[in-house]
Amino acid sequence: MLGRLARLRVPTAHLEEERMTKRRTTWSVFGLLVIVALVASACTAAPGGPTASGAAGQADPNGEITLNTGSEPDTIDPQKSSFVNEIAQAALVFEGLMTFDPKTTKPVPAAAAAMPTVSSDGLTLKYTIKDGLKYSDGAPLTAKNFEYAFLRGCDPTAAGDYAFVLYVVVGCEAWNTMDPKKSTPADLSAAKAKVGVKATDDKTLQFTLKEPAAYFVPITALWIGWPVRESDVQKGGDKWTEPATYIGNGPFKLTEWKHNEKFVFERNDNYRKKIQIKKINKVMINESAVAFAAYRNNELDMAGVEAPDLRTVEGDAELKAQLVDLGGSCTFYYGYNVRRPPFNDPNVRMAFSKSVDRQAFINDVQKIGKAADGGFIPPGFPGYDNTDNVQKFDVAAAKALLDKASPEAKAGLTGLKYTFASSNTNKTRAEWAQGQWKTNLGVTVELDPVQSTAYSALFKKGQDSPQLFLLGWCADFPDQQNWHSTVWATGGISAARTGYSSKAFDDKTKAGDKEGDPAKRDALYNDAGKQLSQDAPAGWVWYSAGKLLRKPWLKGITDNPIDYFPGIFALENVFVAKH
Amino acid sequence: MPALFLYLCANPNRSNCIAVYTDERVLKYTIRRLLLMIPTLFFVALITFGLAKAAPGSPFDRNPDKPPKQETIDRLNKYYGLDKPVHEQFLQWLGNVAHLDFGISIVRQRQVSEILAQGFPVTAQLGVQALVLALAIALPLGVISALRQNTIVDYGSLFFATIGTTIPSFVVAIFFIYFFAVWLRLLPIVGWGTPQHMIMPTIILSLGAAAFLTRITRASMLEAVRQDYVRTARSKGLREQVVIVGHVLKNALIPVATVVGPAAAGLITGSFIIETLFSVPGIGREYIRSIVALDYPIIMATTLLYAFFIVVANLSVDLVYGMLDPRIKVGK
Repeated sequence: MLGRLARLRVPTAHLEEERMTKRRTTWSVFGLLVIVALVASACTAAPGGPTASGAAGQADPNGEITLNTGSEPDTIDPQKSSFVNEIAQAALVFEGLMTFDPKTTKPVPAAAAAMPTVSSDGLTLKYTIKDGLKYSDGAPLTAKNFEYAFLRGCDPTAAGDYAFVLYVVVGCEAWNTMDPKKSTPADLSAAKAKVGVKATDDKTLQFTLKEPAAYFVPITALWIGWPVRESDVQKGGDKWTEPATYIGNGPFKLTEWKHNEKFVFERNDNYRKKIQIKKINKVMINESAVAFAAYRNNELDMAGVEAPDLRTVEGDAELKAQLVDLGGSCTFYYGYNVRRPPFNDPNVRMAFSKSVDRQAFINDVQKIGKAADGGFIPPGFPGYDNTDNVQKFDVAAAKALLDKASPEAKAGLTGLKYTFASSNTNKTRAEWAQGQWKTNLGVTVELDPVQSTAYSALFKKGQDSPQLFLLGWCADFPDQQNWHSTVWATGGISAARTGYSSKAFDDKTKAGDKEGDPAKRDALYNDAGKQLSQDAPAGWVWYSAGKLLRKPWLKGITDNPIDYFPGIFALENVFVAKH
Repeated sequence: MPALFLYLCANPNRSNCIAVYTDERVLKYTIRRLLLMIPTLFFVALITFGLAKAAPGSPFDRNPDKPPKQETIDRLNKYYGLDKPVHEQFLQWLGNVAHLDFGISIVRQRQVSEILAQGFPVTAQLGVQALVLALAIALPLGVISALRQNTIVDYGSLFFATIGTTIPSFVVAIFFIYFFAVWLRLLPIVGWGTPQHMIMPTIILSLGAAAFLTRITRASMLEAVRQDYVRTARSKGLREQVVIVGHVLKNALIPVATVVGPAAAGLITGSFIIETLFSVPGIGREYIRSIVALDYPIIMATTLLYAFFIVVANLSVDLVYGMLDPRIKVGK
């Protein structure tokens, strides 16, 4: 999932300018050479152009693609991964019990034969494994492998950031939060034995939950439960993620990992479906401008487009035709510290939320993204609600609300600071917001940039936490629980940062977490979402989105906002057309 | 002055030895300088450690939007010994380094020595190639422009040198990428390994040093060519070639050698930008990443390695002086 998406943003605008100037001046100097070169490249039939081969358009059984994966991931161990660049590698090699339907983003069976059977009290889930599944080395895949993987996900010595998604399983949280250095091995194994994950036979995996949790099914599609093999982990030790022991049940196998240079994945012929691509190379280019150049040099078959390159792409007919729009999985918002003035007054919070022109922000600053036109959950995700528009841009209403604010809250507006993780992009965003509040509300806000590694420490000060700040939340899995309950229920990540605690909201979202009936569940969450927007501990600003360039010969991809690899949820359909 | 042979042996059993003729004073001098390296590296380490620790934040705070729980951070801090006072951490690190144990990368969870062993050869290869290329361009070009002063060759070399020193390498790199890769489709941009992949990074990395060395060589040739000993050599009836190579160039190389040392160290260790732009799997990218991520063990090991190379380069220059001009007494 675009879980903890932390894209390294490098200011490339100045490079772009340099490049544009260079191009103009060099024309005169090297003009002749360029003409010669263009003729030469036309003669050598660069892979970019269509050829007259009769087989063009058909799937190439030896199809090979090269993508950019950015920088070297810190780990590719499924139970330890948290960033999209880590998960994206494991996703090619492993497959979970469930996966997602690329069109609806609902969980559908993968290694499981069918949806799980849920006991009437909602506390026990039984998964049956498909027949005949194998690892890429030919060894059979059983429920025991999944049991090991899920237990490893709770294991305090494996210490993955994503263990929390399994805390709804009986005993997982208790074991995971033990200190492995202080506890005796006997205590640890006793805690392990209490975890509610059990392979009752080779085909059946049973989970016991602490409480009914309709959101548990999508969790069983996540990397935390991908069936890493115990024998590989033991044999490889710290280096088990190297190709020799990184053996999975997924569509590809890892055949080479040159650190800081590239990954090579080759088709796994033991996979349950026939995969049409033979080989995937993933190179590591940090600079988006370089990746863009490499794409144009046909060294990459896909490349993300950053805002600075967008103008170049849209000015070039061939490139423009290759541009693909992607939905995003993140929402960005202004957080308000509700514990003290001015934001202890809901009128001030709503006034701030209603006084920013989101569409202008997308047009002038963000370029790639979508103006928030609903609540906290972005489009493409279950729970997106565009009838939730109480925070809509409305200067007159915003001013009226600010007038209604208490004298104490109004006094608090003096010297108000806006805190953000320091970067060029965030600075531009902050200056824009500063201008909006000044123009539309007449409130002067000071900018307070902070080193990004020190940002979260600021929020541990309770009442003295930053008053006004920029934050984002990216989905871990496509379910409302991961948005409303994880983030905003009392004690949730952003609830703790803003000091927001609402019984009305908590009741609705927690009821949604337990509700088994999908329609009732959606209604409960929509109610909760509206309550949240109305209480406004945060002002929703924009939803993330992506743009990428894709060569015309790469076909069969159904894009989805949570893809960690384009088309990953139906990789058997993806092919390289002969060209 | 008692002469002696210094044996540089590949094995402790004294097979595969290279005998280097030296004299006692030079040897003592070299040993003294090598010993001086220890306090130098110590202070480099101390300052780097202090600065790295003074930087705000924590290596476990990778994503401000989703911070790990405080208990998790506490546990990790304890595991990596980051909960101890800074001076204790430094002493412990120092003790480990004395046993050549550079620890484990906090973020990658791989041995630092393993990461360096994979990245450094690539960085060093790139640097050495660039240095050789820079010298191959700078020495002939400097000599010719000095001998043909104020001709078109001289002006050409001045033009090259001005371009090479004033335009930053990342600008040249982007220009090269667009010209040779996107337009001409002659060279690949991404990766490392084949000679084609090495052409662009090597040339771009060498440009700055080549330009600078060209100017130094030219200036110092012009200086030397006017010296009395050159007139003497000519009046002895020596052939022009011998005069230029044996008398002018040899003397002119002393200032050049002074700057080649640090330049060599700079090329071997300083290719961060080029490595990032061309996706070269060297140590420079890892270094930058480690600083951003506050991966202390990598920051420390890499800085120390870089410092070591700069010290060695400077020492080599001082030793080379003695070879170029016997009047310079190394070790006095």
